[in-house]
Amino acid sequence: MPADKSDDIRIGVFICHCGSNIAGYLDMEALGTYAETLPNVAFVQRNLYTCSEGGINEIKKAIGQQNLNRVVVASCTPRTHEPLFRSSCGEAGLNPYLFEMVNIRDQCSWVHMQEKEEGTNKAKDLIRMGVAKAALLEPQKPIMSPVFPRALVIGGGISGMTAALALANRGYEVVIVEREGRLGGMLLDLNRLGPSMTDALQLAESTVKAVSCHPKITVFTGSRVTGVEGFIGKYSADIETPTGGKKIDLGVVIIATGARVFVPAGLYGYDAERVITQLEFEPRLKQGIDPSIKSVVMIQCVGARNEERPYCSRICCQTAVKNALLIKEKDPDTKVTILYRDMQMYGVENEEMFRESKAKGIRYVNYNPDRPPQVQAGSVLVYNALLGKDMELPAHMVVLSTPLLSREDSDEVGKLIRVPVDANGFFLEGHVKLKPLDFATDGVFLCGSARFPANIREAIAQGLGAASRASIPLSKGSVVVEPIISVLADMDACRGCGLCVALCPYGALEIQKTDKGRKVKVIDVACKGCGVCAATCYQHALTINSFTDNQIDAQIEAFLG
Amino acid sequence: MVDSNLQTEDRDVLQDLAERYGVEGVRSCYACGTCAAGCPARRVNPAYNPRKIIRMLVLNEAKSLLEKDTIWLCSSCYTCQERCPQGIKITDLITALRNLAVQQGRSPSGVGMQANLVRSQGRLYALDEFDDKKRKKAGLPSLSPQIEEAVRLLKEES
Repeated sequence: MPADKSDDIRIGVFICHCGSNIAGYLDMEALGTYAETLPNVAFVQRNLYTCSEGGINEIKKAIGQQNLNRVVVASCTPRTHEPLFRSSCGEAGLNPYLFEMVNIRDQCSWVHMQEKEEGTNKAKDLIRMGVAKAALLEPQKPIMSPVFPRALVIGGGISGMTAALALANRGYEVVIVEREGRLGGMLLDLNRLGPSMTDALQLAESTVKAVSCHPKITVFTGSRVTGVEGFIGKYSADIETPTGGKKIDLGVVIIATGARVFVPAGLYGYDAERVITQLEFEPRLKQGIDPSIKSVVMIQCVGARNEERPYCSRICCQTAVKNALLIKEKDPDTKVTILYRDMQMYGVENEEMFRESKAKGIRYVNYNPDRPPQVQAGSVLVYNALLGKDMELPAHMVVLSTPLLSREDSDEVGKLIRVPVDANGFFLEGHVKLKPLDFATDGVFLCGSARFPANIREAIAQGLGAASRASIPLSKGSVVVEPIISVLADMDACRGCGLCVALCPYGALEIQKTDKGRKVKVIDVACKGCGVCAATCYQHALTINSFTDNQIDAQIEAFLG
Repeated sequence: MVDSNLQTEDRDVLQDLAERYGVEGVRSCYACGTCAAGCPARRVNPAYNPRKIIRMLVLNEAKSLLEKDTIWLCSSCYTCQERCPQGIKITDLITALRNLAVQQGRSPSGVGMQANLVRSQGRLYALDEFDDKKRKKAGLPSLSPQIEEAVRLLKEES
C-alpha cells in the first residue's frame, strides 16, 4: 500500500482526451511531454476517456505500481467528475483528498477550438498550476456527527400535522409547537374543500385526533419557539409554553407556519357584513346563507397582483369557483357572477370544476385593474371592455377573494433559524426545482403555505414530502460531511470580530469565549466550504481545507513562473 | 341548467340555440379570441366579431344582437368552428341566430332579395348569356336559367 503522506512527493498526471472534446482541439502529445517535465511528477498517462472503467483502472494501477501519493486528472469539470476520481483514489488506498482536478475542457478546449497553439499553452498553464497545488495537498477525513432522533415542527396546521404524523409513524419523536390554543390552523375556519368537496372540519378533527393520540408526538399549543441553536443533527430549541419555558434537543426542524388572509379594509366597501372575504364566507356557507340573498358577486385579485403585493395567491380562483358552486348547489336560482382578471385554475380537477361552474350558469366577467369594479348599494358596476360599456350586476352580497399573506413574524422566525424569506415574506426554499422542500441550511425543511399559498392537497403533499426529506438524516443517525470546510488555522490571529459570523450563509460560525478571549468557532457539519469567511477575515485566521492560502499562492506562482 | 343570470328573453334564445339547433356549451367560452383572430369576414369588416357575439349572448345582450346586421356578415367558412378550443359550434351558432332573427322579422333587405332569387331560380346568382358563351367555348352544354328540381324542393319545404 502506498503511503498517504511521504516526504517524497510522487504525482501522477492523467490527461484525458475526452474523445475528441479535448484531443480534437489541443496538442495532446505536447501536453503529455510537458507534464513529464513538471516538478514532483513521477508518472504521466494519456487516456481516451479517463472516466471510463479502463481509465479508472489505469489510475488505480498506477497508484500501486508507481507508488503515487498525489493524483492530478486534467479533463472535464469537477462538478460532474470529481467525486468519481476521488473515490477511485480512495479505492486504491490513497486518501481521496490527495486528488486534484484540472479542467482543460470547459474553459479551454471548448472555447479555443480555433486556436490550437494558444489553447494548448493555456492547458499547459492549467496543468502546471494543478500540479503545484497537488504537491501541497493534505489528506482529510470526512466529518461525522450524530443526529438526535427528534424533529421539531413549527406550526400545527394541516401541513405541519401531516409532516409530524409521517415522521412519528416512522418511529421518530416529534415536537409540534403551535401558536394558537388548538391544533388545526386555517383548516378549522373552512367549510368544504374543492374540488372533491370534502368536509374541512372532519379532516381537521381526524388529523388532530391522530396527532394528539400519537405516543411519539408531543404538542405544545399556545406556545412559541423563541430560540434555535445548533446545526443539523444537534439543534436545541427554546420553547415558551403557557406553563413556562422549555428547552429541547432535536435533530431536524420543519417550518410549517402557514399564512394569513389579507383583510381588505377600505377596499370595495368591505364591511365584513354585506361585503366579506372568502374566508368569512366559508362559515356562512356552512350554516346556510340567508335565503333572501338571490345575487352574489365575487371579485378576484382584491389587494393582490398590485404594486404592494405583486404575486398571485394561486388558490383564490379555485376557492371562488368552489364557493360559487356551493351557492348553486343550495339554490340554483341565485345569480352568481365572478369578476376576474385572469382565472388561475391549474390542474385537471380544477379545470373540470371551472367548466362545470360555467355549465351551471355561474357567470364570469373580466375586469381591468385600471378600471376596477365599483361596489354600490345593491349592485356592482363593472366595465366590460369587449362590450365597451358598464354592466350593472345585482348584488345582495359581495365576496372579495383576497390573497394569502406571509406571517407577520416570518422574518423573525427566519432569523431565528437562519433561513431566508423572499420579497413577500414567504420562506425561500433551497432551490425552486431541485430542493423545493429544503432550505440551503442542512437539517431545516419547509412545507405548506409558509412557502407559498397552497391549497389543502398541496399542503398535505408538501407535509409528506418535508417529512420524507427530514427522515433522511434521522434514519441515518449521523451526517457525513465533506471535509473541505473552513478551519481556524491561526487561533491567535482571530480577534473575535464576528464579521465572518455575520456573513456566513449557513450559520456555520459562532463566537466563543475562550481563555484567550473571543474566538470564532467553525461548526464542521454546518459548513459548506464556500470560503466567504476565509476571504473576509482580514487577519487570515480562517482558511479552507484544500484551498489554503499556501496552495493558492503556489498555483499563482506556478502560473507567473 | 338554466342560467339564472339571464333575463327571460335572452334565456329563451340560449335555450332555443341548444334545443333546436344543437348549439351547446356557449357559456364555456373563455373569450380567447381564436375565432376573431382567424375570421376572414372580420378582416374585411371589423364590425363583425364572433368573440363579441358570444360575449353578448352570455351577458344578457341577445336581444340587441338579433337587431343588428353584424350576424349577417359571417361568410360561413367554418374557420372559427374548426379552431374553437372549447368546441363551440360557432358557425352553426351564427346560422341559428340568423334563423331566429328572420323568425322575428329582422333581416337586412338584401338578404330577402337573395332568398327570393334562390326560391324562384334555384340559384343565388342569375345566369346570363355570357355564362353560356363561355360554356360553349369549353364544349359544355348550356344551362337552364332555373334549376327546376331545386325550386320544386324549396316549394315543398315551405
